[in-house]
Amino acid sequence: MKPRLYVIVFLLLIPLQASLFGPLSLGGVTPDLGLAILYCVGLLTGPIEGAVAGISMGILQDVGSASLIGFSGFTRGFAGLFTGLLGRRVLDIQSPSNIIFLFVISLADSLFSAIFLEITYGSVPVFGLFFGRAILRAATTAFTGYGILRLITGKHVLPWIRRRELQKEF
Amino acid sequence: MPGFFEKNKKFIAILALFLLLFWLVTIQVKAGRFTVLETPVLAVSGFVERIITGTYNAVINLGRGYVFLVRAERENIRLKNDLGRLRLENQITNELLSENERLRNALGFMKLTSPKSVVVQIIGKESSPSSSTITVNKGSSSGIGRDHAVITPDGVVGRIQAVLPGTSRVQLLTDPGNIIAVRVQRNREEGLLEGKLDRCALKYVSYYVDVQVGDLLVTSGLDGMYPKGLPVAVVTKVRKLESSSFQTVYADPVVRTSRLEEALVLVK
Repeated sequence: MKPRLYVIVFLLLIPLQASLFGPLSLGGVTPDLGLAILYCVGLLTGPIEGAVAGISMGILQDVGSASLIGFSGFTRGFAGLFTGLLGRRVLDIQSPSNIIFLFVISLADSLFSAIFLEITYGSVPVFGLFFGRAILRAATTAFTGYGILRLITGKHVLPWIRRRELQKEF
Repeated sequence: MPGFFEKNKKFIAILALFLLLFWLVTIQVKAGRFTVLETPVLAVSGFVERIITGTYNAVINLGRGYVFLVRAERENIRLKNDLGRLRLENQITNELLSENERLRNALGFMKLTSPKSVVVQIIGKESSPSSSTITVNKGSSSGIGRDHAVITPDGVVGRIQAVLPGTSRVQLLTDPGNIIAVRVQRNREEGLLEGKLDRCALKYVSYYVDVQVGDLLVTSGLDGMYPKGLPVAVVTKVRKLESSSFQTVYADPVVRTSRLEEALVLVK
């Protein structure tokens, strides 16, 4: 994808996540729209672009939140790299198995964050967070990601993007 | 060997980037969070959040206006009853306040002044795996500044972390970077309450201090950020280990932010 498109998507990501998904939260938990989009980017583009997209998205999310600058960049970068590598193995992009992969990635993301905070600040209820919030968050993220994946790999969207890129190249 | 680097140069560059990010994070753990690029990102996100929330509220209010009109009369009666009761309570409170002020004057204490507040609407809620913040629709043009306290009638919500003229970002109590000086209301014991993502933990409480499940934690005012005596959190778990001289105390904030729509910012 073109860098300009990435910039627009990433800049819209923070407000969309904060305002659109906020009222739809289940027990204070909302799907992680950023991770869902990153999963699609990683699968469709490859490990290098996935990692770069993950790092950029993560840094932007860090700046737009209260977390340490670079922390989400680090975790999202790994998520992008992993999904890019996964994309080389996945034969059917529209397969429902993507729900399971994205569920595991989201769970790993939350668990890594909780363990890092426990090591850094201490007294973080890792198990409470895992069973209370991370599982529900991973489940909602997985279904959201699968929905986005189905949407962009549908009959019109992906061919339209590719056609436009080819037209520009010529 | 040079062939290997040539072949994998993109992966090596990504690896170097990861190491750089990790180094950046470790620096901030000691030196505190960097605040680069906060203004442009908050400007863009605040602008879009305002549009989305405005549209959402307009649709919801339209629905409420027509669909729930039937409930209005019943609610009106209930509110009138509540108003009468609250007027009476207010009169009693005013009496107690003037009595308190007279007694304070007699004792030579400093005069109590209620802080000026600004009502703000929540336009965005962010909850990543590593932080908890909300965005509100007012900023420096309304007198709001960094580190101003954000509260509701129930208790403390958090503090202002970043400000623009028309938008501010609030760091919630549960955010790992948020620390607030509190006191156990029952026995006046002091401690520092730190955010732990979905709850808070009271730090540096001696093993021998009496803290019980259900105790209310209120602001001590010692941090200079929050006025004294505001409800903050309720103790939910106390863990004592023989090997440690401190006990681990977990507490849930009294204000649940998941359904919060408005709040007050105490302008200094």
